[in-house]
Amino acid sequence: MGMQGDFFQLLKEQGYQFGQPAAAGSGVDLPSATTILAFKYRDGVLVAGDRRATAGNMVMYDRTDKVLEIDRHSVMAIAGVPATAYEMVRILEHSFKYYRRTQLQELSFEGKLRAVSKLLKENVAAALAGTGAVVPVFAGYDFEQGAAKIFFYDILGAEFEGVEYAVSGSGSPTIRGILHYVNTWGERPLVALNEEEATVQALRLLTSAAEFDSATGGVNRESNLYPVIKLITHEGVRVVPDDRLKPLFESKVVRHV
Amino acid sequence: MYEEPYRWVEAVGNRRTYLDEQFRQGSPVVALGYDGGLLLTTVSKGTSKLYEIYDRIALGGMGHPADLEKLRFSLLEMAHTEGFNRSPSDVTGSRLVKYGIAPVIKQAFEEVYKAPFIVRIVLAELGQKPEKDTLLTINYDGTFEELKEYAVLAATKQAQARMQEYLKAQKPSPCTLEQGLLLALRTWAIGSLAHQQDSAEAAADGGQEARRETAASIPDQAALLAHLREVLADKTLECAVLERQQVGSSKYRALKPAELARLLPGDFQAVVAR
Repeated sequence: MGMQGDFFQLLKEQGYQFGQPAAAGSGVDLPSATTILAFKYRDGVLVAGDRRATAGNMVMYDRTDKVLEIDRHSVMAIAGVPATAYEMVRILEHSFKYYRRTQLQELSFEGKLRAVSKLLKENVAAALAGTGAVVPVFAGYDFEQGAAKIFFYDILGAEFEGVEYAVSGSGSPTIRGILHYVNTWGERPLVALNEEEATVQALRLLTSAAEFDSATGGVNRESNLYPVIKLITHEGVRVVPDDRLKPLFESKVVRHV
Repeated sequence: MYEEPYRWVEAVGNRRTYLDEQFRQGSPVVALGYDGGLLLTTVSKGTSKLYEIYDRIALGGMGHPADLEKLRFSLLEMAHTEGFNRSPSDVTGSRLVKYGIAPVIKQAFEEVYKAPFIVRIVLAELGQKPEKDTLLTINYDGTFEELKEYAVLAATKQAQARMQEYLKAQKPSPCTLEQGLLLALRTWAIGSLAHQQDSAEAAADGGQEARRETAASIPDQAALLAHLREVLADKTLECAVLERQQVGSSKYRALKPAELARLLPGDFQAVVAR
């Protein structure tokens, strides 16, 4: 049956080009989006991202959504060049739908992971040229295994499973250390946290990242700007609304000790 | 020999007779609007006849499964490349039909050396607002019609007319999913009974007399549902909705046996639960 139901193949047959390398001119500051994290909690996986997009030293945008829903049960959080990342998300979204509608069954979770990997491989030339590097975290619910899972990638398309958590972006070194500490010596491991505790943890992690990384936007209470936090359970993807984040931030994150 | 105009007209005429014959064993399709969106219903044996095409577009078909598959794929290809290259809101049923499959179907129908598509199709499109909901039907010769409220596919013009009359007389406004489903099923039964009758008449060559007589009497609701139950002994009830309230961008959902069992009267439990 060949590559039946392959939307990306169909696009290519129609002349669509993805991941064309282009040398970045010197002095061009490419936009990039930063700091995303995902960890397993009691009910599934929490995926969060700050909202800042930067180009060099300049803040380009403070309302970026880096945690993008690809379908009802999977999200891709993006760090790297937004133009490429958004295009990848659009391709994946249409690919999964096209597969389901032509083949009359959902693409398996493994199939979805492969699709992400494949796109990153197609993008290697642009990534190495410095104009299209994307380092995503993919999380979703695997119905065959009955569990929510996390995967992260390098710019060449290699896939790694984040058994407990995964991070990406410029603020990630900070929170990677915290995640390790909390998960190993905290009161309870991350996977034992309930929804509220997990949400508080994510807010604290992103606030810490913003503290040490200028490219990560923290919470901006004056503008009512909170990070994007999405939860994946067997019921699907759910967004934690700002009016839930606001009181949690005020009571559990601001000067907690 | 088809180069002569007269022969060509004759050949196309023969084609119509041939094609009409092909639908006799087919199962009617009923599509109608209800307060939450659009509902598509049919009864199928083996292959499915209701499909998801795009975020807000569904397809119901009659005819040859291979032809239906071919057209379904070209609709899927068109819809997804258009939705990707432009935007999902630029994918409309009307564009898919007018500039997409209708010309292809018409060409195949008129090229008398080649095989025509043995299909009748209904495309249901959920609008952003209920008043924008559209139903498009396409015949095997490429003619299409844009409808609101309800649309039907049937083997013969008579069967189709009967089903439409029934829907016109019976459709409540507003109409819940449960009411819509029962009405669609009764309408399906009218179509199915009309097919049986047409076949019987054609076989007996009974003529106009019998037809006029039976046209007047529409069986009561119980009789229609009894016919459906009987058919469902070895066939499958297929129902799908385009639901306005559905979370996410895809609005299509096939109704599962458990949900059908809940919506339908108690004596359907056994036939839909299979």
